[in-house]
Amino acid sequence: MVEFERFELDNGLRVIFHKDVTTPMAVVNTLYDVGARDESPERTGFAHLFEHLMFGGSINIPNFDGPLQEAGGSNNAFTSNDITNYYDVVPVQNLETALWLESDRMLSLAFTEKSLEVQRSVVIEEFKQRYLNQPYGDLWLEFRPLAYEVHPYRWATIGKNIEHIKEATMEEVKDFFKTHYHPGNAILCIAGNLELEEVKRLVKKWYGDIPAKEKKVRNLPQEPKQTEFRTKTIERDVPSDVYTYGFKMAGKGQEGYYEADLISDVLGRGKSSRLYKRLKKELELVTDINAYVLGSIDPGMLMLSIHPSDDATLEQIDAEVWKVLDELKSTLIEKPELEKIINKVKTTKAFSEQGVLNKSMALAMNELMGDANLINTETDEYEKVTVEGIQEQANEILQKTNCSQLIIKAKKNDE
Amino acid sequence: MMNRTIAPETKTVKHIDFQSPEIDTLSNKVDVYSMRKTDDETVRVDFVFDAGSLKTSKIIAQLTGELLFSGSADKTSDEIEEKIDGLGAFTGVEVSTEKSTISAIGLREHIVAITQTVVDAIINVNFNPKEINQLLQSKKKQMAISLEKVSTQARRAFLSDLFKNSPYGDLTQLEDYDQIEQSHLIEFHKDKYLSGLQYIAVVGALNDEDLNKIKELGNQFSKEEVTTIDYDYSYTPNNIHVEKEQALQTAIRVGRVLFNKQHEDFIKFSVVNTILGGYFGSRLMTSIREDKGYTYGIGSGVAQLLETGYFFISTEVGKEFKDLTLEAIQEEINLLQTEEVSETELTLVKNYIIGQILEQSDGAQAMMDRFIAVETYGMDFSYYDDFIKQVNEITPKEVKELANLYLNWEDFIVVSAG
Repeated sequence: MVEFERFELDNGLRVIFHKDVTTPMAVVNTLYDVGARDESPERTGFAHLFEHLMFGGSINIPNFDGPLQEAGGSNNAFTSNDITNYYDVVPVQNLETALWLESDRMLSLAFTEKSLEVQRSVVIEEFKQRYLNQPYGDLWLEFRPLAYEVHPYRWATIGKNIEHIKEATMEEVKDFFKTHYHPGNAILCIAGNLELEEVKRLVKKWYGDIPAKEKKVRNLPQEPKQTEFRTKTIERDVPSDVYTYGFKMAGKGQEGYYEADLISDVLGRGKSSRLYKRLKKELELVTDINAYVLGSIDPGMLMLSIHPSDDATLEQIDAEVWKVLDELKSTLIEKPELEKIINKVKTTKAFSEQGVLNKSMALAMNELMGDANLINTETDEYEKVTVEGIQEQANEILQKTNCSQLIIKAKKNDE
Repeated sequence: MMNRTIAPETKTVKHIDFQSPEIDTLSNKVDVYSMRKTDDETVRVDFVFDAGSLKTSKIIAQLTGELLFSGSADKTSDEIEEKIDGLGAFTGVEVSTEKSTISAIGLREHIVAITQTVVDAIINVNFNPKEINQLLQSKKKQMAISLEKVSTQARRAFLSDLFKNSPYGDLTQLEDYDQIEQSHLIEFHKDKYLSGLQYIAVVGALNDEDLNKIKELGNQFSKEEVTTIDYDYSYTPNNIHVEKEQALQTAIRVGRVLFNKQHEDFIKFSVVNTILGGYFGSRLMTSIREDKGYTYGIGSGVAQLLETGYFFISTEVGKEFKDLTLEAIQEEINLLQTEEVSETELTLVKNYIIGQILEQSDGAQAMMDRFIAVETYGMDFSYYDDFIKQVNEITPKEVKELANLYLNWEDFIVVSAG
């Protein structure tokens, strides 16, 4: 059980407080309800670029990192298709420093030309380092627009291409801040060996006067139901082929999500999973194969990642993959297999929510999904899944007409 | 009206409470370290063997480690994995130059059964040729992919030149995967696993009964004394470039042989390193990322080996910025060598470093990691008290002296790849 308190300021800021007496650190985690899906198709990569700009100085404080480091703290942030999350870890006696810094950059950024110019370059280098200059680095840049034709999930968080980042203007940056960075669009989670009254006092002190803004109603184009198999083959300068399959599924918390998540585990999580045992151990058609779900808030994907053996053909592998998928649709799995999967989910959840930082992020994320207490009830949802439910969901999503496939072929050198 | 321009008062970290694990020694002389004061639901058990890559040739150590769950006379790998997964467990194999760590993580209620399964697998593995072959194919493929990365190419060129006179520089080649025989693995397993258990580390809220059961499992191994070898760490400063035409970025690795925590200058040099490139506000980050935008990240560090260590600076920059980056790095080092760091900056770095130690000692697992980190060098927690003391006391003058002693460009090997 993760205990917590919840309160809300007049300006709409939602605050979660979790008391943890075992740690000398305090965490200030700020989750903003904005991600790559909220970008304009002509200005992709913006949410992530903006994350960088949040470190370029705020209206009253020219340097974010310095004062935090001075207080013995550290920090980081990440952007996804759904959210942007910032976290600070400080010795508990210096909690107020983190609140002072975070509240000021929620109030307003410094918006200097220099900051925009430098972070533009930094993000461009990040684009190169993580996506363009790595083998298979552009896999997601190719796969997303194949699977999603309408919904903003069709572009990756880093952006469709470097040009969008190069052309970002200061006006657009300021606009983005105004629209998405305000108290009503944020969830603040504070955790540590603290008292609720003191936390309330400090939060009101630093965030109370930040003006409320209207929360922009999200009205994203919905992805129409996929009705045909999609496939694309590209050639890249890589040592071997990689196949990626994606099946549309429910978004996090939507009906069918937990079943689909467990299906991905049954199929391809770990060395006792069905695809691994059949295609790698038994048939030796692949050197590696695994399955997972993206876990997005809007309808997402169940993914298969396949590294073929050198002498196996796409046809052979594809045929055997579908046999395994079809078996899940035609035959109920046995209870022991379901229990095994649920045991793994329990261990993962327990392990990934250990420590004050992990708990803070999980609390904030669950609050965004509607209720911070989901951190305590999520396991129950998995335990409610039945073997019939697995079969039903398998038939729903593991269809060829629901499948997108990206084939990356290794460029062969001319002899 | 709030005055947001004034920073709240901060209090420096005065003291960190280090808690030693319980230490028991089994009849076979294997030590068992346990940290049990925790509320966490999961337990982690590490079996650490004298089975690092330096203990043998080629990739025998790595392969043996990764094949420990590949099956015995009575159980196939599928059956073992099924059992482990069924208990909701995760296993890990980490083979370093010195040792091999086999980890099992699971919920408290299952951890004894999980550990039994793991130990059973390790002891009875018979190195099935089909399993060996499947692993070889998989790893060859992974290595081929890794070798395409400029960061890998730079790291390999750097290490193989820096340690050309010792096995630390003898890196795995793709051809090594074609020269493995089952007998190599069987022999290594017998020597370094069956007779090579060094210690067991347990982190989790186990009761005495469960902890004793895990200790019993440790008695199934024996412990041979570890022999240390004196290697030749001499090197020659050098400049190496590995070209990769279509690369969009160049990976840079710069550094030299230095020392580990057993050396009297290690702690104070750590402060110098942090100022130069050991945190987000470092000289290198401020100049090369935040001011010039050449890179997504640049940093420096001191990597510790058993008998020595090495200093390195590492980054990936836009290809067109390679020379400018090397110049900028030299400029920052030169600055440290000629101008004393200000008290303001030095205080910030000190506070940051101590805050980091606090964060990295937070919780039972972190505390165990801190313990192992000093135990490996024959030291105890007083090392951290000394660390904090020396960090608090270092002066700008000392920083400059150490920069002049250890950061001379003429002493470096400079590698670029891409």
